[in-house]
Amino acid sequence: MSSQNATAALSPREKYYFLARRLHSLTGLMFSGFVCFHLLVNSTVLVSGESFQYCVEKIHTLEHMGLLVPVEMATIFFPIAFHTLFGIVILLTSEPNMTDYAYGGNIRYTMQRWSAVVILVFLALHIWHMHWLGKPFGGAKFDPENATTTAAAAMQSWSLWAPIYVLGVMATAFHLANGVWTALITWGVTIGPRSQKVSGYVCAGLGAFLLVAGLGAVRGFMTYSVARDGGETAIVEHVEDGGH
Amino acid sequence: MSKKVKVNIKRQDSPDSGSYWQSFEMPVEVGMNVTTILLRIAATPTTVEGEKVAPVAYDACCLEEVCGACSMRINGKVRQACSALVENLLQEQPEITLEPMTKFPRVRDLLVDRRRLFESLKRVKAWVPVDGYGERGTPERMSQSDQEESYPLSRCMSCGCCMEACPQFNDKDDFIGPHAVSQAILFNTLPAGKPLEKERLDALADAGGIAACGNAQNCVKVCPKDIPLTISLAKAGRATTIHTIKRFLTR
Ligand code: HEM
Ligand code: SF4
Ligand code: SF4
Ligand code: FES
Repeated sequence: MSSQNATAALSPREKYYFLARRLHSLTGLMFSGFVCFHLLVNSTVLVSGESFQYCVEKIHTLEHMGLLVPVEMATIFFPIAFHTLFGIVILLTSEPNMTDYAYGGNIRYTMQRWSAVVILVFLALHIWHMHWLGKPFGGAKFDPENATTTAAAAMQSWSLWAPIYVLGVMATAFHLANGVWTALITWGVTIGPRSQKVSGYVCAGLGAFLLVAGLGAVRGFMTYSVARDGGETAIVEHVEDGGH
Repeated sequence: MSKKVKVNIKRQDSPDSGSYWQSFEMPVEVGMNVTTILLRIAATPTTVEGEKVAPVAYDACCLEEVCGACSMRINGKVRQACSALVENLLQEQPEITLEPMTKFPRVRDLLVDRRRLFESLKRVKAWVPVDGYGERGTPERMSQSDQEESYPLSRCMSCGCCMEACPQFNDKDDFIGPHAVSQAILFNTLPAGKPLEKERLDALADAGGIAACGNAQNCVKVCPKDIPLTISLAKAGRATTIHTIKRFLTR
């Protein structure tokens, strides 16, 4: 084999470069799946506060089996952690030249990188704000037991949260849709210009759909009325289920 | 024919010295291209300020867009000087701007060292192995459809435009560049190139191989030979993934 003489001298970077780039693509796709699910679940708040609470409880049934954290770590946390860290490495090798070559593909390439930076900041804020991982840092405002109320209260607690989430959703919808489009090329699924054009329309549709779902969810939580009696948050949704 | 054209040129005296701009003015001739401009400047190298300067160094050879030697940034975009007609350029903007390519080491003025381009071709072994070629007999005939797919790839003239425009081809990474990926695909399709197929795929799986592409698709837009580079890149993406999985499983 030709690679035999080469293997000896290869640095880890050289040895795992291809694997790392493929894992970056794969973890991007895994996280895309999660984001679609996440935004759809969140948008159920538009139906009613109870619908969202119902979805959250269905998800948290995994908790009773002791599976929530392992599943979350394996399918969400580690994939996005790898994607983010290696994404930064990729960002550092890029020299965008959109102003010289203002072609559609190049503009999307550059926006893929800008949106990555927006998502990076947004994710950190979002995890602090809503996820239990934010608890040691005074965050973690979301409580699955009272999902709708706590999420709405958290969203309404600061006037900048709404614009931050709107920006986060916009960057995510673009990065995800364009990412799926490039991943199809990366893996050699869409090869010719025609198939790439068709997949482009499909991905744009996916992005538009997620944008609507995500912005809808933001609106839903911003307009959900969090009744306040003497500073206490009223708990409206945890009523009729006998799950616990 | 008294119309004049002003040409602004980014100059540099030696590989390590800084760059500076100089402007020249000359009468527009019928059918004039950018290489003609540089030829006229070489005859009378006088700037618009009337200063006599050293002639502008540049590269050119075939003068018909087949050798790839004369690539440079013309009005901000990379292309061949010999096929850039002044008349057309003047329709884009009133003056012409010439700069050397930015992704290759500058030698002098508009002259660059395209060695990295050829090193890439070596890395993917973009050739037919000749040792023992005679004993192998006549290679298998290519199918009509393979011929039709391969021929466009064979038009590559190693001009460097696709690398110059590629945001992933730079000093921060050792990307081989779209032309080399495409040549690897070409030689892997040729029956006579098959003996090195796996080695080429190994090379594509190395650091700086196909995975370094970020799908900006500038390469295909700027290629003067209309080579379907993005088809080659996606094919390479597929073939390299399959190859590395097989390689992993057979070890
Ligand atoms: C909502 C979160 C995210 C999702 C759903 C996501 C998804 C994706 C997908 C599917 C791809 C395409 C991979 C390919 O072309 O093969 C991609 C590419 C990329 N992502 Fe993400 N990503 C997310 C967050 C991030 C973050 C936080 C960063 C880093 C700061 C990042 C950096 C990148 C980069 C640089 C690329 C381009 C890679 C290339 O051109 O090869 N992403 N992303
Ligand atoms: S498609 Fe790949 S090779 Fe072509 S310009 Fe974009 S990053 Fe470079
Ligand atoms: S692929 Fe096209 S742009 Fe690139 S070197 Fe060959 S001819 Fe030039
Ligand atoms: S001189 Fe050969 S391509 Fe221009």
